[in-house]
Amino acid sequence: MKRTAGRVLFGLSLGLGLWAWLNAASGLNLDELKKSAEELKKKRDSVASDLDKKAKSAGLVEYSDDEESAIGRQIAGNLLGAAPLVKDAKLQKYVNNVGTWVASQSERPDLPWHFGVIDSNDINAFAAPGGYIFVTRGLYRMLNDESELAGVLAHEVGHVIRKHHLKILQKSQVVDQGGKLLEKQVGGNEKIRNLIGSGAEIVARSLDKEAEFEADRIAVVLAARSGYEAYGLPQVLQEIGHAGSDDKVALLFKTHPHPDERFSRLGNAMGERFDNQKGQTLAARFYRIK
Amino acid sequence: MKNTMRWMAVFVLALLALPVHAGDSGAMLKADELKAEPYSDARAVAMLAAGDKVDILKKDGGWLKVKSPKGSGWVRMLSIRRGAPGKSTAGASSLASLASGRAGTGKVVATTGIRGLNEEELKAAKYDEAEITLAESYSTSRAEAQKFADKGKLKAQKVDYIPGEMK
Repeated sequence: MKRTAGRVLFGLSLGLGLWAWLNAASGLNLDELKKSAEELKKKRDSVASDLDKKAKSAGLVEYSDDEESAIGRQIAGNLLGAAPLVKDAKLQKYVNNVGTWVASQSERPDLPWHFGVIDSNDINAFAAPGGYIFVTRGLYRMLNDESELAGVLAHEVGHVIRKHHLKILQKSQVVDQGGKLLEKQVGGNEKIRNLIGSGAEIVARSLDKEAEFEADRIAVVLAARSGYEAYGLPQVLQEIGHAGSDDKVALLFKTHPHPDERFSRLGNAMGERFDNQKGQTLAARFYRIK
Repeated sequence: MKNTMRWMAVFVLALLALPVHAGDSGAMLKADELKAEPYSDARAVAMLAAGDKVDILKKDGGWLKVKSPKGSGWVRMLSIRRGAPGKSTAGASSLASLASGRAGTGKVVATTGIRGLNEEELKAAKYDEAEITLAESYSTSRAEAQKFADKGKLKAQKVDYIPGEMK
């Protein structure tokens, strides 16, 4: 990066010199020469500062995938402290199969993706950085087929691939440690534990509304890419909106735009794109929770 | 006896085939065509206006078969809001009540015996290494996922991301 900046500066200086010489040779007056020299210098400075800014933003705030996963693991461990896994190995394996297949259609197929169903009657789903994704038993029980599960998981995959939660963490105190989280092999986890602390409210943090709409749009595309019917998520949104209001959806409704609004925004974005796409719903294979 | 069995089989099949939406009513979220078949290039039977009531009969992909005073046919599921017309306002008010106070959460915990998951609980959550290790033990490799997809005849498709809504 620095070398490139240097080259640009060198090129500009050379150009400036040549230009000055040509102008002098053609007999332009000194004032005009000074003026254009000043303008060129301004331009040169602004190029240099842009490059500097780019270098800074690229270097400081980015986490490696390993760091991201380590952060996500701590948060996921905290979440499981509040609501443990449903003790049904077949269910957990099934959810990982569907989720990993869907995530492998994204631009981050090689993250170590983990999916799970947690023991809560609430209707909700959570994503932590690095690919840790959980659906509540309450939401899972609402689902009718595999394409709906795929749609729900794909929405969370959308949050992970666009780093929606990670960006919030980066803006908070964690960012100060920028990129040095795993520098020391020994005590690396300790460091992350200290930074994240206990608690998992980050997974239920209200994201920007646009981030939710974006995750919805990503979800239907990932589901379609995976060979599922694209309408799994819209279907679930419709049902949650229809189910209306009780305590089970309190947190979901508080932290997300209303399902009806998501449904209509998503519908507008989808338009006629998927009209003739006949993916699978796989209702017969869908694992029913006991 | 044989006859009874047959009827039972029919009944069970009917139950299995029972679409999720059978008997549901809904209303048009926006104006859209009522089509003869569940395809965008199918013949239009009628034009439904926003707010028109429909009875939802069954589902096929992104299409719902509906009955309406203007005729029967297929409508894009994205154009229909399930439930009684005018529910949107009810939804808004319930949303407001949710935002104003959620004192009932504790009650649900007490009556069901299964924990809800509210913000306080999430804030107080303590790291559980055994559970996260267990969660990770169920992970699926990409190769396994591919096999799983093959079994379900799921074929990867090329689909572009959808741009955000233009306003």
